[in-house]
Amino acid sequence: MISCREALRFLHEFLDGELEGAPSEQVRAHFEACRRCYPHLQLEASFRAALRRACGGPCAPPELEARLRAALAEAEKS
Amino acid sequence: MTERRGTFQEEALPHLDAVYRFALRLSGSPDQAQDLAQDTFVRAFKAWDQYTPGTQCKSWLFTICRNLYLRQWERGQRHDRIVAENTRPETPGGDVVNPLWSAVAQVDPEGQFFDAIVDEEVLRAIDALPEDFRTMVVLSDVEGLSYQQISDLVEVPVGTVKSRLFRGRRRLQKVLYEYAVEMGHIRGNLGGS
Repeated sequence: MISCREALRFLHEFLDGELEGAPSEQVRAHFEACRRCYPHLQLEASFRAALRRACGGPCAPPELEARLRAALAEAEKS
Repeated sequence: MTERRGTFQEEALPHLDAVYRFALRLSGSPDQAQDLAQDTFVRAFKAWDQYTPGTQCKSWLFTICRNLYLRQWERGQRHDRIVAENTRPETPGGDVVNPLWSAVAQVDPEGQFFDAIVDEEVLRAIDALPEDFRTMVVLSDVEGLSYQQISDLVEVPVGTVKSRLFRGRRRLQKVLYEYAVEMGHIRGNLGGS
């Protein structure tokens, strides 16, 4: 199994989906087995979930799409 | 409607929500975000001939959006902050062990305190980040872009993307932790942090 330091070094790449294949599996296996490192994975994941929850909400207001379609029609003429 | 506009609307308009969200985080204002998003799509439509269908349309729109923002909307204090940040040396990597998580793990290993923090406070913390950190965190953690996509978009090396993401996240984590301690969502045990 890879060391704690190695696992933590790849924590961000692992969560960001930037690790593939064997390295990703090695990091996953370490976090699943290591009680000391596991909270680092959980805390980092909870932090990111909070960001997604806060930022993911707002959708474009309906009037923006209408405005935009009119602006595109206008841009097409010019 | 012409075929050109039809194709544009079919391929680009589905990204309107994402571009609006990004514009909102860049500008910090719903009104400005609407204008910025509209300008982005009009600019993209005019340049549609330069776009290769089927490629990264969302990233391309984000690039236009950010460039417009930096040219047209960046003023005053936020501009000063960007300049100040960009003059600081990059410190890629940093310590692999997050001392904050080491401390929090003792009292809340699952990070449940994040669930108690209201979205407005998270947004306030994000909006307070310097633009370059804010852009990277939003593009990666909210919009799910890869390091390479962000690198292409912001025109900095992948190593710089990783470094700024690292520093931006650490800043946000510290701010949100301190808020959670202040609000009583978690017991502070950093000894003075």
